[in-house]
Amino acid sequence: MKKQVRVAAGIVIGLACLLAQGQSGGMSRSSAQPAAVQYLYPEQVTLAAGKPGSVALHFRIAQGMHINSHTPREDYLIPTTFSIPDGADVRLKDAVYPAGTDLTLPIDPKTKLSVYTGEFIIQARIVAAPGNHLVEAKLHFQACDNSQCLPPRTIPVAFDVIGK
Amino acid sequence: MKRNTLVLCSVLVIFSVFAWAGWANWENRKQATERLLATAAQGTLAPDAAGGAAQYVSPLKGKPAPAFVLEDLNGRKVSLASYKGKAVLINFWATWCAPCKIETPWLIELRNQYAAQGFEVLGISTEGDDLADNDKAGWARDRADIAKSVQQMHIPYPVLINGDSLSKAYGGLDAMPTSFFVDRKGIVVASQLGLTSKEDIEGKILKALGN
Repeated sequence: MKKQVRVAAGIVIGLACLLAQGQSGGMSRSSAQPAAVQYLYPEQVTLAAGKPGSVALHFRIAQGMHINSHTPREDYLIPTTFSIPDGADVRLKDAVYPAGTDLTLPIDPKTKLSVYTGEFIIQARIVAAPGNHLVEAKLHFQACDNSQCLPPRTIPVAFDVIGK
Repeated sequence: MKRNTLVLCSVLVIFSVFAWAGWANWENRKQATERLLATAAQGTLAPDAAGGAAQYVSPLKGKPAPAFVLEDLNGRKVSLASYKGKAVLINFWATWCAPCKIETPWLIELRNQYAAQGFEVLGISTEGDDLADNDKAGWARDRADIAKSVQQMHIPYPVLINGDSLSKAYGGLDAMPTSFFVDRKGIVVASQLGLTSKEDIEGKILKALGN
């Protein structure tokens, strides 16, 4: 009898898991489009607590797209910026951004843009309190291809910081 | 034995309920997704008649342009309906969009060229920042940025704000610039996603004018 109850419970739990999986699959179908920029790594860094330490944050831009550099040539363009919310146990002291590369749109050779393409690295200097912290930083950017632009986006940049 | 049968029957009943719930859930989501896609009306790319680059074809083509009433930079309400009898180019653009800055001078020239034939451009700023209605500081910042762009580019045609509110009706407005060419009867006769060329835009204006 006990065995049958266990079997029945196992079937019920298994079905519940299948049902839950089906629901989450449905949700992912209706989720928003993937962002033009993806955070790659690191997932975890170890730093001396209380002292500024440098972290190289790697990002990848979707093929055929570009984003404005941190210092675009025109003031109407949205610069790429990295930030860590105030009040966290990990503080952003400053960030060093790569220089942008020049891009000319085929249809208008007179317009020259300062952009990032492919993979790029931001060197963030951060100060961490002692202990383990999950940093939920952000990257704000605005992406285009040669003929059209997507609205500005902010993506999460999550990594663990161990302050020793 | 009787008890065993009871347990097995209970398991089968529970199994059936779960299976039904799972199927019903999947079916509902499938239908919801189909409805969403139909509403969003993303559009397709199709080769042009001359065999050139692929052209954006909006599902709105051949249908009445969705009605709207938006404010201009002076706070005046402007409706699409008030342009009935004219050919209208509805140009969704954004202050942060470099291709839009290249396209706008073409639109100004074409507007001035064809205005006498009953043609007008409506520039609709679509900043993509999804501001809440009560975000006064955000709207003030948007208005200031848009006004600065309008002034710098000497835009003579009406510029309206909050194009984001038309996103659903106009097929998502996922990228800027996006334009719709509306004929004198209010029907969308052509559309354009992204920067093409002045000649391409002119051809679509002539179509909207019925020339």
